[in-house]
Amino acid sequence: MKIKLFPKNEQELSKLFVLIFPLTLLLSLTISFLKNAYFTFANLLPNNSVFNYGFLDRLDTQAALGLVFGASLCLSFSYLFSKSLGRSMVLFPIVFLTLLGVVGTEFLDILVNFFFQNTAYDLGNSSLLILLKILVVFGLFGLASINLLAKKEASIFASAQFLYGAVVFYLISLFIVRAELNVFSDIFLVNSLYTGTHIYVGVAFIYMAIVHFLMTRPLQAVLFNKTLSSITFWGFLFLLPWTNFKYYYGSVLPNWIENISIYLSMSLVVPLLAFLVNYIKTIQSKEVDGVGSLNLLNFSVILFSITTIFHMISSFENLLPILGITNFVNVITYGLIGSLVLATISLSYYLIPKLYGREVNYSRLEDIIFFGFKISYLLLLINNTVLGVNSGYSWNAGANAGNPTIYGEGYGIVWSLISINFSVNTFISLLLLGSGFLYLISVLRAVSSGSITTVEEMVYSNE
Amino acid sequence: MSDLVNKVAEILNAPVDLVQRSAEARAAASGISVDDVLSSWAGGESVAASAETAPEKEAPVQEVVEEAPVEEVIEETVEDTTTEVVEVAEPQEVVEEVVEEIVELKNESALSFISGVLLVGLFTFLFAFVIPKNQATDIVSDSLNNSVSASNEVIKGAEVYAELNCQSCHTQNVRTLIPDTQNGKILKNKFANETLINNVGNIRLGPDLSTSATREPTNNSQWLTRYLSDSTSVNRDIPHPSYGFLDDDDLEYLITYLLSLGESNE
Repeated sequence: MKIKLFPKNEQELSKLFVLIFPLTLLLSLTISFLKNAYFTFANLLPNNSVFNYGFLDRLDTQAALGLVFGASLCLSFSYLFSKSLGRSMVLFPIVFLTLLGVVGTEFLDILVNFFFQNTAYDLGNSSLLILLKILVVFGLFGLASINLLAKKEASIFASAQFLYGAVVFYLISLFIVRAELNVFSDIFLVNSLYTGTHIYVGVAFIYMAIVHFLMTRPLQAVLFNKTLSSITFWGFLFLLPWTNFKYYYGSVLPNWIENISIYLSMSLVVPLLAFLVNYIKTIQSKEVDGVGSLNLLNFSVILFSITTIFHMISSFENLLPILGITNFVNVITYGLIGSLVLATISLSYYLIPKLYGREVNYSRLEDIIFFGFKISYLLLLINNTVLGVNSGYSWNAGANAGNPTIYGEGYGIVWSLISINFSVNTFISLLLLGSGFLYLISVLRAVSSGSITTVEEMVYSNE
Repeated sequence: MSDLVNKVAEILNAPVDLVQRSAEARAAASGISVDDVLSSWAGGESVAASAETAPEKEAPVQEVVEEAPVEEVIEETVEDTTTEVVEVAEPQEVVEEVVEEIVELKNESALSFISGVLLVGLFTFLFAFVIPKNQATDIVSDSLNNSVSASNEVIKGAEVYAELNCQSCHTQNVRTLIPDTQNGKILKNKFANETLINNVGNIRLGPDLSTSATREPTNNSQWLTRYLSDSTSVNRDIPHPSYGFLDDDDLEYLITYLLSLGESNE
């Protein structure tokens, strides 16, 4: 195993991120497990400024939506972008530094919060770290634009399109976070659009970039229809940023934006169908089995579809007051992050033989990992949906019964109904942590002692 | 040899030269010597036999030419050709697919793609953020009683609340369910300090705190001190973090802030 700290080309850079991704995932899953444990067993576990639910929840958000997101973006960008454009990247040393900067600033974010809790920023604050992030992501946006303009392929491949979309909306989300908060509705606007741009578009588009690559080239399949791919791209790009406002239905947000959010959420059916038809038809045309972790990819498509369907179902007006401001809102995030994680794992297993020249031996260990991740994310989705709906109804029932749930006593009734779901969440996060640990072991085993195979040289001519 | 030719010529009543050339041709065709041919022709019957044999030998050639198998071969060849045409048709379909690929790989302008993405981004930023944000601010600016005032101690307490991330479980904006709204408030769109706005919360896991200072026991500073320092001393059933690690000042600020969450904010 030979990894260069200062890579000279896309291949060496991708090798670096193939190793960084499992590490970031493991860190994120560890924090997530601790967070859930401190929610369920707050009274039993030792408590201090670090080990308490509020602090760990913030760290968890930064680790999952910042660090894992960043690592996945960098891995897919370093490998897929040059592949899609058919040339080595223009200004490669700066691309390398920028990608390292993306992961670095996201990691720094966690460190700052960990060591300087009192000065850590909150959503909506403008801090030096956010300015640094904006600078780095703006650099990535500029480099992606230059490379797109200098492309060698006649067509812009779907993977490059989706990656570019993810970078642009990641940048927009950082501008939104810096916005000043003047009136109470601002926090809902900031939170909704940040979620819509960073999580919904950002995470979904990196996922799409990986899927569009894995379903074609490794399987020697031809993309069924480019028009459907374009509908998927532009449809999700236009619709997804608007879909979070609906969860604040009836709040201080302007009514028109809540209504638009409802209708646009329902319209997600169009890009979803386009994506599914394209995926199924493309996979059917495969010539080889290709990726050993294809079933993981297939499952990620199911997960993504369920998540998008939840997006649409939750748009019904009579459901919104019940589902809004509950754990159900998190289900969408969990589903998208889960899809991205599964697709990135699939990509990393595909890349190990190509980049390191080491075969991945799909043994019982890998079967356990795949099963662990799949069952965990599915359970996470189901459990939090039940949790969201249950708590929404019980808040309502508690209030109707004259035992208002804004009071501690009333909350006791709600807690008796939903506590089991939180316990299950803790168990699921433990499962995920175990799977993440085994995944790291599996990757290390493959790159260090896998049987030797041919390395795919990523050699491009820029002339 | 010449006697034999003459004898045969006499027998067959044919010119000598013709008999000689015919014998040579027969010999060449049969692979035997000219003398043998002439001898057989001189023998009469033998010649006749030879004459019969010759057509017999030629017959297969005629059969090959005339017989159906030859035609079948030709037909089969035609059929095969037809089959090949069908088989060729598949590559033609592939060729058509490749043609589609070529259509797919038409030169796409990176500039127009980049412009398209940036336009959607700009559109989203303007219509989903800048315009509604300004709209909300304008509405509040035009209304009376439009600001939330808070003392320095309350603001410091709000900062402690934000650092502890209490808003990850508690909202300060009750849900829009009809029974719920009777028991709390939906925030009016007022001007306020950034930290106060930040503390509103987005997900409600614990009780809403928007009116916590107006009800028992959360309007009691001693109860709050006890509960926040060691939650288990008050309620073991509901998991709530204990903030015994806070210094006295921060705890006092936090309690001051919680006691400000009442009707005054509405």
